[in-house]
Amino acid sequence: MQSRLLAVLRLSTAIFAGSFGCSSVDHGAAAAGGGEAGTGAGTASFAGESGVGGAGGVGTAGGVGMAGGVGGSPTDSACAEHPTPLRTQGTVLSLALAPVLAAKSFAFGQPNAMADGGSLVPLNFRFYVSDVQLLASSGEPLAVDLVTPMGEPEPYGVHLFNAEDDETSELRVLAPPGDYTGLRFALGIKLGCNQQSPAKLSEPLTDISQMTWPHTGGFLFLRYEGRYTAADGSSTTPSDVPPVVHMGGNIGQELVPHVTISGQFSLPESGVLEKKLSVVMDEVFKGATANIDVSDVAVGFLSTPEAVAGERLRRGLSDLHVFVLEP
Amino acid sequence: MIRASLARAVILCSLGALAACSSDADDSPHTGAPSLITSTIPEGFPKGTNVDQAPADNALTVERATLGKRLFYDPELSRTSEVSCASCHQQSSAFSDPAPVSIGVEGRRGTRNAPSIVNAAWGKSFFWDGRARTLEDQAGQPLENPLEMDLSLSDAVARVESDPSYVEAFRRAYGEAPSEATLQKALASFVRSVVSGNSPYDRHLRGDDSDFGPQRKRGEALFLNEKAECFHCHPSGSLSNEGFFNNGTYTAGGDTGREQVTGRVGDIGKFKVPGLRNIALTAPYMHDGSVPTLEAVIEQYDAGGRGDPTTDPLIKPMSLTDDEKADLLEFLRSFTDDALLQDARFAP
Repeated sequence: MQSRLLAVLRLSTAIFAGSFGCSSVDHGAAAAGGGEAGTGAGTASFAGESGVGGAGGVGTAGGVGMAGGVGGSPTDSACAEHPTPLRTQGTVLSLALAPVLAAKSFAFGQPNAMADGGSLVPLNFRFYVSDVQLLASSGEPLAVDLVTPMGEPEPYGVHLFNAEDDETSELRVLAPPGDYTGLRFALGIKLGCNQQSPAKLSEPLTDISQMTWPHTGGFLFLRYEGRYTAADGSSTTPSDVPPVVHMGGNIGQELVPHVTISGQFSLPESGVLEKKLSVVMDEVFKGATANIDVSDVAVGFLSTPEAVAGERLRRGLSDLHVFVLEP
Repeated sequence: MIRASLARAVILCSLGALAACSSDADDSPHTGAPSLITSTIPEGFPKGTNVDQAPADNALTVERATLGKRLFYDPELSRTSEVSCASCHQQSSAFSDPAPVSIGVEGRRGTRNAPSIVNAAWGKSFFWDGRARTLEDQAGQPLENPLEMDLSLSDAVARVESDPSYVEAFRRAYGEAPSEATLQKALASFVRSVVSGNSPYDRHLRGDDSDFGPQRKRGEALFLNEKAECFHCHPSGSLSNEGFFNNGTYTAGGDTGREQVTGRVGDIGKFKVPGLRNIALTAPYMHDGSVPTLEAVIEQYDAGGRGDPTTDPLIKPMSLTDDEKADLLEFLRSFTDDALLQDARFAP
């Protein structure tokens, strides 16, 4: 088993070796070997918090060298199923994840009208969110826990949005009261978890997440599949509407993209602040069909149209506004 | 939480103790099951044992699984006393049905092929359309289906209540007289105990390739690569992602599957992804039993389905060579756990 894992790793590392210096790849996330050890640090005094610091273990020192090791114990601090809470008190920010297309609700499993007269039926849409930070008025990031409706940290500090399951459409974080200017999170999972075998993990990082790459190759970060029908009834998909998008990284490098979302909000002293976080499918499609050369990685199982579309989206994410915090 | 953990520990210890006292060859009712539960969880399955998959109000015990097995094989649970659960879930077919669709009381024909119950403990939903969220919810539906066993749960309870040995078995298992709830729980417990995890593929995953030669390895590579793309729906280990997909079997006017549960247009033609364990034994295939052989299954996928526009976009023509088809077929055959077919713990 381990030898096969290493073989995948070597392949993946080789595939991505040429691309890693691309400045657009990770826009804000750490470069290889650098990790994100500093993410969230420096916010110890924010809103009365003390000693918050960065999310434990997010730094992936070693990067390509694979801190933690492929297939290491899932209890490794880099991918703890039950992460130590950053705080036990605070206010819940509840974000209702709401896919939209052309400024209208993007109904899962239903025909959504397109500007060209056609319709689009989403068949599968899901993505991971992790490493969430709120942005203070000063602009400094404050690491916060993703929490369940029961108030406990989400397993592995990861939330899986699944458009098929309404229970996953709420993103909850526990944060100190105060004024914020936005938030930031990883659209995917960090390397520490991506290197683990799904067979050794619990939900939402198992095979039934439908987010695993083939056999020990890590996880997808975002998955979309849809069916387009033109106004004349034909199924020829327009070039700007990808039928399938599979965005992921690999198990050898920290490639998870981060998104930064602007928007003022104030967390009260207690209770729950409910906000809507639109997921703009127009931007997902725009990124997935952008004219971005990914030939440096498009070999093997990464050469399929869905993987190419995903890699284009991943690389172009910094120029897109996939998430919009509604007023 | 602590009490739940303690209860689980007690159960595991009890099962472990029974296992230590019984051999696999022991054909007394279910006394061999504990060793199966605790020692042969297939590689690649989610953490924990099938004991862990049981709900808090139906912890998996030997008494419950044993009672469930008796019910599973009892034709008295059908209106005409001619059909049991085992009629459509035959051990010789890895607990699936060799008939294309289920044949119920008085020869009534169902609409779908009965899926295997093997490793259902890890299922997230049940039936081809996923309308049952738990095994307990699933267990009673075939009884009441007029095309299957056609017996109300209340009538089923009345029948078992008339048998003192059943009443005693329910008391031992649940501490109470038979009821609709405990009848379904007992059936679910037996199903939850049926685990298969010692096929050549399982042994391969554990590092033993003695029955996993070059052709199977070539087939595995195909299975996992983007040419065949089987892995998307049948990931390693459990061999089902528990999702719902339109794999190209559906054609207009046919059984719409998942759409009957959700009402979503996009779910037309979607059916639950079946696990592939023992797949060589579970012919015919697909939700309607319309594909007679594994060779024909491969041909259908190679063609990209049957051409209906609702087919999932990941189902595309593959242009497999004859050698590749043979390799894939041989890999699929490596999922067969022969011991399951003679396992006395699951036999009548």
